Amino acid sequence: MEAATHMLRTGRRGALFEFQMAFRDLRASLERIDLAWSLAWHDVVSRYRGSILGPLWITLSMGLMVLGIGLLWGELFRVPIQQFIPFVALGIVFFGTVTGTINEGCDTFVHAGGMLSQTALPLFTFVWRTVFRSLINLGHHLVIVAVVLVYFGYWRTANYPVAALGLVLLVVNVGWISLLVAIISARFRDIPQAVQSVTQAAAIMTPVFWLPDRIPERYHLILDLNPFYHLLEAVRAPLLGQGVAEHTYLFLAGMAAAGWALAFSIFANTRRRIVHYL
Amino acid sequence: MKPTSPKIGLMKPPPVSISCRDLTLRFPVYGVDAKSLKKHLAKITVGGKLGRSHGATEVTAISGLNLELKAGDRLGLVGHNGSGKTTLLRALSGAYEPDEGSVEVQGHIAALLDLNLGIDPSATGYDNIRLRGRIAGLSSRQVDERMDEIAEFSGLGPFLAMPVKTYSAGMQARLAFAAATAVEADVLLMDEWIAVGDADFQKLAHKRLLKLVERAGILVLASHDVELLRLYCNKVMRMEGGVASAVTDIKKLDELLAA
Repeated sequence: MEAATHMLRTGRRGALFEFQMAFRDLRASLERIDLAWSLAWHDVVSRYRGSILGPLWITLSMGLMVLGIGLLWGELFRVPIQQFIPFVALGIVFFGTVTGTINEGCDTFVHAGGMLSQTALPLFTFVWRTVFRSLINLGHHLVIVAVVLVYFGYWRTANYPVAALGLVLLVVNVGWISLLVAIISARFRDIPQAVQSVTQAAAIMTPVFWLPDRIPERYHLILDLNPFYHLLEAVRAPLLGQGVAEHTYLFLAGMAAAGWALAFSIFANTRRRIVHYL
Repeated sequence: MKPTSPKIGLMKPPPVSISCRDLTLRFPVYGVDAKSLKKHLAKITVGGKLGRSHGATEVTAISGLNLELKAGDRLGLVGHNGSGKTTLLRALSGAYEPDEGSVEVQGHIAALLDLNLGIDPSATGYDNIRLRGRIAGLSSRQVDERMDEIAEFSGLGPFLAMPVKTYSAGMQARLAFAAATAVEADVLLMDEWIAVGDADFQKLAHKRLLKLVERAGILVLASHDVELLRLYCNKVMRMEGGVASAVTDIKKLDELLAA
């Protein structure tokens, strides 16, 4: 409670000061990270109240989608199902986490308007809330991953530490995108639709439903420059017992550094105004 | 025996205080047009002139306000609608950042500005109490410790296990009030004296608020009710168009209002 017992707010004192205040917001949110977790947990519990299976309901429908697409498209693409179903299953689950966090990021500040306009809660608390909510949902969907890996025997060859590293990179990158769209969506209300269009397009352009090795060599830029491909590959490949290309790690590390620098700068510059946007 | 030295009275430094120095708050008001990126881009592409603050109109809500309050001060804020009372309360709560000057508050702040803060209609009464308590800065354990007391005070009994959207308006107000006033604060900020529910509950609510006010070191209450201000405040400040008068004794309230 010590954090709440002294509050000092001042006018603008130059760019450096704004960054210091933004860092202070970040630090305060980390000191009360349990609050973000509570809010996220509450969101998940209340969203699925009344449905017996809770978020597993979504898991179930996701599982059916995996089965349907895996069987039918596997046939269409002439890929053996023991190769295609695990590929599609991991793709849908982890790509869902990526797009879910980004799409829901649009509402991060908009939904928190009431709280932000009368408390000194850190803004970052609400960013973590969105991220945690996605992770809680992912936790449920891991059931699909587990079932598929065990059923098709991939659990023996899967490289879990490397997959965990990939997941960390995925969350770190999705985090800044979520923050960025949260700020822009608070300011401009027509952004969420645009963000959704982008994530939908990404679902088609990214090898979620199709195998990357089916793409002709001359179109490889679609893979190499596609951030969603690298995000997905870093988690999916090790679980399927495949190696991850070095340039995927370089891409993701670079994207995380540049992305956080960009998102945090915009945050530092708009922090005072976000509450007024709402 | 009364302490002779003021130092003995101050058990834990630093003491509860509020300090505003040259506080100025400007408010960008974003119209519907200003909230659309498409319209922004259209304006740029057709060569239209963008407003200084991107289509938003700036309103100065508070200008050059100075305020010093210490433990024991009960400040009443008077002024017309739109004079800046609520904005000042929000600045004191830490939600609004000053554009110029500073706000400094020592002590744990509780802002009872909007009772429905954080109320989720689809969650149960218990979940809402928990959520509200967490937002107010209580730990999960502290919320659990107070749960019985809050539940009893709300008088909602078995309804607390039901979703809030099934409540009547009066029941919702009871829940919100019970949850919002379950906090201990050094600095209590209130926008109007909130007494909700039926006649019986209003009496209870009134008592509970009084207790809260007694415990708090500083109260800042914005109200249009002169009698209420006389009852609870010992100081008063008048806001007009974002400019504050000097803080004066509550006995001079009539002169202040006449001025």
